[in-house]
Amino acid sequence: MSTIIYGIITSVILALYAVGFSLTYGISGLANFAHGALYILAGYISWNLMNYLGLPFLASAPLAVVACALVGFIIYWGLLLRVRGIPLSELVVTFAAGVAILELLTWRGFYGISYSLPVFVEGGVEIWGVAVDAQRLLVIAVGVALVVLLYLFVHYTKIGLAFRGMAQNERTALSVGIESDWIGALSLALGSALAGLAAVVVLPLGMMESSVGYEVLIYALAVAIVGGLESTPGMVVASFVIGFGQRITASYIGPKWMIIVPLAAIVLVLAVRPSGLFGKFKELEERV
Amino acid sequence: MRRRRSVYLALLVGATLLMFTGPLAAQAADPIVLGAPTSVYTPFGKSCLQATELAVEEINKAGGVQVGNVKRPLKLVKSDTRGGEPGTPLHDAIMAYTKLITEEKPDAIVVGAFRSEVLMKAMDTVAKYKLPHLHTIAQTPGFQKKFAEDPEKYKYLFRVTTDALIPGSYTQACLDILKKDFGLDRVLFIYQDTEWAKAFAGLVKMLSAKSGWKEIGFDAYAAGANDFSPALEKAKKENAQVIVIVWDVPLGAGVFAKQYQAQKVPAIVVGFVPPMAAPQAVKTLGPGVEYSIHVEFPVGASLPLKKLPKTLAFLDAFKKKFGDLPEAAAVTSSAYDAVYIWKEAVERAGSLDADKVVAELEKTDYKGVSGRLKFDKNHIAIFGNKDANETGLAVVFQWQNGPDGQLIRVPIYPETVAEGKIVLPPWMKK
Repeated sequence: MSTIIYGIITSVILALYAVGFSLTYGISGLANFAHGALYILAGYISWNLMNYLGLPFLASAPLAVVACALVGFIIYWGLLLRVRGIPLSELVVTFAAGVAILELLTWRGFYGISYSLPVFVEGGVEIWGVAVDAQRLLVIAVGVALVVLLYLFVHYTKIGLAFRGMAQNERTALSVGIESDWIGALSLALGSALAGLAAVVVLPLGMMESSVGYEVLIYALAVAIVGGLESTPGMVVASFVIGFGQRITASYIGPKWMIIVPLAAIVLVLAVRPSGLFGKFKELEERV
Repeated sequence: MRRRRSVYLALLVGATLLMFTGPLAAQAADPIVLGAPTSVYTPFGKSCLQATELAVEEINKAGGVQVGNVKRPLKLVKSDTRGGEPGTPLHDAIMAYTKLITEEKPDAIVVGAFRSEVLMKAMDTVAKYKLPHLHTIAQTPGFQKKFAEDPEKYKYLFRVTTDALIPGSYTQACLDILKKDFGLDRVLFIYQDTEWAKAFAGLVKMLSAKSGWKEIGFDAYAAGANDFSPALEKAKKENAQVIVIVWDVPLGAGVFAKQYQAQKVPAIVVGFVPPMAAPQAVKTLGPGVEYSIHVEFPVGASLPLKKLPKTLAFLDAFKKKFGDLPEAAAVTSSAYDAVYIWKEAVERAGSLDADKVVAELEKTDYKGVSGRLKFDKNHIAIFGNKDANETGLAVVFQWQNGPDGQLIRVPIYPETVAEGKIVLPPWMKK
């Protein structure tokens, strides 16, 4: 039973890591390699707001999420606009921005054993004899709520519909008055905000330091590649494949092998179905 | 007129030459360079470098190092190998080592590799460039094994700190107390899948089996692990009474500390979990650290011991200079002692010649913060578990409720430095 319960928790955490990355790519085709850096930046901002301004976590967390959205927006207008449409340059620029953020945090002393965020909810419960703390249950709740809210957002709001328009065909979207650069910037801001949201929910489960940014980027990439880069359902399924893969590996092979599951999944998917489980970009080529 | 100008010119040239060749020049412009290649952005690297800075500052304030007839100041040059960060290739860490040696041309190396795997590779680099190397972080017993294969080649390398077997034996001593005083006998091992941690946990596994402990599991986790729930669930399911954990990567250790508290595992934690052992642990992790037991190696790394005044003096000076006690509850005092050990060897040798300094280092008999340090034939500092006047010493402590209601770290082993006894958590009392 613990394999199932903790498998679900691990999977939802992976989905939270990846949702922002996947969403931005799905809407604007931007692979935001600064995603991991924005994730840990949210933790850093939140910690500083609590420790230097004395804000409670409930206030510092949303402020950190907003700050991440702002940084994502600035990355688009300040850096990406000049190389928009050149995928390799976009990738290099976002990766460089991410490394710059992470190294800056390291230089500012964001490492070691002093940085930790408090949990939103204390205590825990037993589910079928398995002890689960309330914060992990909150992670599941946030993950589920996020999927529902994102569905409502992209189906029933003007910006959400514009996002979908862009995702389906950028030129057609332009012809009906959807400004692609604004939508691109907003998609990056939304993806960054989701990275920040994942951070303030997941980081209280452990410690934090700048190097977490690299780890989160790798997990987000693994989930997105396995699921199909532009596919949100694919992202969810891939999270569960990798999450349960890790748990089963820990239980039946050995915990030290858990860490290679995401990498093995990437290799396997790229070898068998390069566009990912739900990806469509290369589907035709694959058929041929 | 022309003759007077020539005299002035000659005087000027003479004075300039004197400035560059005389003893004044040697004192002011020719510092001895101490290289410190390590994983700078880790608690251990950071604290060791701070301790080294403190020693260098003290020595320079006292006039420097006496080399023959000249007193020369010390200059510390740091280099980040990133060797402590999971995912850094060994090659990159060794490149940083080589770059420091070839560009800065240090007269000796202190602190050194963080990760044991890096140290093992760096042994060949140091042997190639032939300069004294006093390392104070990496703990693998593989060092002495490799050293013994070719002592002449590796003679420049000295270990000034413990190796993993020392904290391992202290941990076992603690298990013996738990068995004898409280009748506990079921243990689960969790260790980081790295050389030093494997040696540490492996020793405790072997010794505990001999002393009648029943092993629930011996689980290795990758250094970058971020989920310990499989092992913690196993501990609950199989009724483990003690979890022996050996982990040095702060992130994973922090995740373990929080998961252990969150999952309410009814077993006592014993071993080495830096975020739980650090002086700042209560602030970072909260009161859940109470009852956890940790080994600090060697003494004086972060815990002031009333019975060892040198630990009080060192940690007091450290706190004055850096505003807080060291973050790392290990090896900090070794870094401090290493600078003084090297200084004394240079002064005895009267030279910076590597071979002469090495010959003097071999004769070391130094009473420092971490105890009395001498090197054995494999150039490792000798540690024991009785008297700091005879050997180096480590200490085991437990987080307990202090007299004023604050959680404090109480030394419990060895007896020579103990200030209290192990307290069993109320949820474990029969």
